[in-house]
Amino acid sequence: MNTGRGIKAIIGSFFRKRGQMGAEASSAAFLASVFFVIAVACCAASFVMWWFPYHLFSDEVYNVVVVNAPDSFVEYNEETQAHRDELARSYGDRYNYFSNWGHMTFFEYRYEGYGWTEFIYKDTDALYDFVTFGGWMRDNDAYLTVVFPKDFDEQIRLRQEGTISEKPQILTYYRTNSMLYSSFKNDFIDEYLGNYQSKIRADYGLKITSVADSEIKDDPITTVENQYGIKAFADTMSRTFIPILLFVILLYSSMSIGTNVIAGQKERGTFTGILLTPMPRYAIVLGYLGGVVLKTLIPALIVATISSLLVGQFNPAGFLALFLYVIVLEIFIAAVTIMISVINNTVVSAQTAFLPIFLILVAVCVTCIQSVSERDDFYMFLPVHGQFYGIGDVLTGNTNLPGLIVSSIATLLLTAIMIVITVKLLHSERYTVSIDTVNSKEIRRFKEGGKSSPLEILNKITDGFSYFITELFYPLVVLSFYQLLAMIPVIVSYMRKPEYSAFISDLRNVGTISDIFDKTFEIFGIFFKDPLFLSMMTLGYVLIIITYFIHAKRVWKIKGLKNAVASCGFPVTDKKHIAKHYGLGFLFGFLMMSSTIAIMVITGQIKFSGFSLSGAAIGTFLVNLLMWIPQGASEELMFRGYMIPAFNKRYKVFVGVFVSSILFSAFHSLNAGFTPLASFNLALIAVLFALIYLYTGDIWMTSAMHTAWNLSQGNIYGLQVSGNEASNTVFSAVYNENAKSIITGGAFGPEGGLATTTVTVICLVIIIMLLVKKSRKASNKS
Amino acid sequence: MIKVVDVHKSYTKDRETIKGVSFEVRKGQIFGLLGPNGAGKTTLMQMIATLMKPTSGQILIDGLSSDKDLLEIHRKIGFLTNEIKLDPMSTPNNLFNFFAELYDIPANELKARKEESFARFGITPFADKRFNELSTGMKQKISIAISLIHNPPVIIFDEPTNGLDILTSKQVTDYLKELKDKGHAIILSTHIFSVAEELCDDIAILVDGRIAAQGTVQELIKQAEVETFEKAFFKIYVDNHVE
Repeated sequence: MNTGRGIKAIIGSFFRKRGQMGAEASSAAFLASVFFVIAVACCAASFVMWWFPYHLFSDEVYNVVVVNAPDSFVEYNEETQAHRDELARSYGDRYNYFSNWGHMTFFEYRYEGYGWTEFIYKDTDALYDFVTFGGWMRDNDAYLTVVFPKDFDEQIRLRQEGTISEKPQILTYYRTNSMLYSSFKNDFIDEYLGNYQSKIRADYGLKITSVADSEIKDDPITTVENQYGIKAFADTMSRTFIPILLFVILLYSSMSIGTNVIAGQKERGTFTGILLTPMPRYAIVLGYLGGVVLKTLIPALIVATISSLLVGQFNPAGFLALFLYVIVLEIFIAAVTIMISVINNTVVSAQTAFLPIFLILVAVCVTCIQSVSERDDFYMFLPVHGQFYGIGDVLTGNTNLPGLIVSSIATLLLTAIMIVITVKLLHSERYTVSIDTVNSKEIRRFKEGGKSSPLEILNKITDGFSYFITELFYPLVVLSFYQLLAMIPVIVSYMRKPEYSAFISDLRNVGTISDIFDKTFEIFGIFFKDPLFLSMMTLGYVLIIITYFIHAKRVWKIKGLKNAVASCGFPVTDKKHIAKHYGLGFLFGFLMMSSTIAIMVITGQIKFSGFSLSGAAIGTFLVNLLMWIPQGASEELMFRGYMIPAFNKRYKVFVGVFVSSILFSAFHSLNAGFTPLASFNLALIAVLFALIYLYTGDIWMTSAMHTAWNLSQGNIYGLQVSGNEASNTVFSAVYNENAKSIITGGAFGPEGGLATTTVTVICLVIIIMLLVKKSRKASNKS
Repeated sequence: MIKVVDVHKSYTKDRETIKGVSFEVRKGQIFGLLGPNGAGKTTLMQMIATLMKPTSGQILIDGLSSDKDLLEIHRKIGFLTNEIKLDPMSTPNNLFNFFAELYDIPANELKARKEESFARFGITPFADKRFNELSTGMKQKISIAISLIHNPPVIIFDEPTNGLDILTSKQVTDYLKELKDKGHAIILSTHIFSVAEELCDDIAILVDGRIAAQGTVQELIKQAEVETFEKAFFKIYVDNHVE
């Protein structure tokens, strides 16, 4: 018997187009390819785009940019000029490598002193604007930027007087695209800035020095080093993102392929035939293992190759080490999935059983990331940890050979043990024929009794659960993705602004979760005043809407985009109908908000301080107006137009209304100033909108209501929209001193107050009456 | 060829599914297993096919026991389950090649054997269609072709004509007769009396995990003192079934 031929056949069955596993083309491979095409494009673009400080490779440069240079530092530079000139003379021609041969070591240029350094003085308020610093460094052949606070000398004086206790901070930014700059920077900080510190100590702190020697150790300034640039970014990515990406790809594709092989075949009943062949059980296991490993390695190795090229790893030995790590890890994961696949009788139960292992391994990755800088060498020798750190090491160019060998052997030993267990399990009839006899009989018996079997119930629950997860998380993922996308240019533009540097300094003091939320809303507050952000968000909302249309078309298998759009609640054929519904919706939304405001005015919570719209703000107001239109439409589409029919396909209509309303409320609950009443109100409004959707049959009206509500709330009456400040308003409203936040909603805006509750309840009563009337009419007709 | 000696099988401690069954099947003989649902036919056949182990007793295939010569036995038996199960995404061609390699059939023989087997059952025009596009009868014929891919001397067929139309059913019974004439030892379970009457040289009627009666069709009719085989079956069942 030629066992090898059988193993080859089983492995081959994974790759046959119409073979056993042919249809299981890994979606991970596709996603990874798309991701990396984008990454490669970005990398290529970095050579021409302005926002990248510099190219990947450059000649050595020696200059230093000094930002906000205090007089004392300029003086110090002048004092050292003679010494530096002398050093420069001793080096010879800085642009001629050959004449400097004596200063070259094997790889590195020995840079002694600061002879070639010229100082370039710049001024700015934005202490963290590394994009600009990068530009200055590139333009001036500098490798380092030293950033002083604006009133540095003053701070030193006050500190010596004892008025302030904090040390003034000097920030440094250095180029990281060559390893040289790191050592240049260290020399510069230790020696040049060190001597400068001695100088200011001598100038300001003579008294202290003479009183007690120990005081000298107290450096008068702190230097905060900021590593940035492509190399630093690449290093961080190499040690965190890329290993975890590889892990997830391996885990995900092993799960989708590995759980399908044996458990899937048991489920389909095709496994018995394979068991009855003269193939030994170990050969069957090895065949499946080989198939899963090879099939999963395709996307993983593509990703590994491209990522190592992206982070600048061109060393063949490094490639080999990386591949070894990935292959060993994949063999291990594949063995786990196959063992689980043998124990389980259906794909769903196998995947459910694999999920905890998936999560545990991802958790291990996260702990690895957290301790990446202070890890123990011992971990290099362990399975999983070893691979995670090892991949990071290889990608940053520090292959740890003993770690590679020991962790690989340890992992393969563990794998061997699992394979032995799997083979043993395959000899037990409990894991081989049980599905054919016991379970199917059980199912039949339950069916005869008119009941579902426990297995069926389990399947139904997991199925329903995954449906909920898909429908609930889809909007979240889509929204966060486009919001993030919209924010990137805004963040880039903000790096140049002083507000941003103040904000970043503040971030150093963030400690608790609530601090993080506060900070997030603070930055949102800044962003919401920015037309760039508003227009990007508008674009984002439009993209959300398009994504949903495509998603609905695909998931619901609708032919024609027009029909897909219509089934999402936007029927487009009848223009008059649209105009009527949209216009009425706008009016209703405005009236609802106005009545809410009226209640607050009547109860004496609020007063208007007059018109506040300035000429300059009109532009922003218009952009705001434009943003609220797709914003309202996209939220209505997500929570009403798509979600309610999606749930309606499986459950009764009230399930969709209920779940979408709860979700709508939860979706806004991360915003500032959120209260339980606010969540109740939002759920109530969501139910109202859902009922209007059910009454009108489309979301034209609710989209307009949503837009009008937000616009009038934020930009006409000048109040907060779900916790977000809107600043460009027609009227400016002021809360009275004795205003009760239970009525007004406080920092969340009117949506958090009882005034809104009142208006919404009244509207709900009206729409319910209308719905009842409509259903009566319908039943009378029939 | 097949020797079953006092085989017992229990899935749970308190209940025995097979309560001491013994019989023998010789070369060139078709042995029929008849019995109501739940009598233990499938369990018995799966034990003979080595998919399950008896709790006690012995099963020998050509003198070999599954404890020692499992793979050797696999080479000697062809097993067909009663439920038609083929990977819906695969094709007859692919599946035949796949199993040919698992059974290590020499590449030079493979083509001729496939052509012959496909031609006999009229599979050839459908050889590259997916299973989910094929009819039940076609799938059953492919299952038979694949289960006999290695030309096994022992054939175990669990309800091979179940759910087939008369024409396909006749094709299958004709084929079984032919195999019998070639000297294969065949075990067959069926619900269809005409098939049993027509094919089986020896019939065991299984009731509640025991062989209630055994013999040729004529012997069984005689033993039950009735006119037809069908009536004999019912009588034997009623006499032996414990409520």
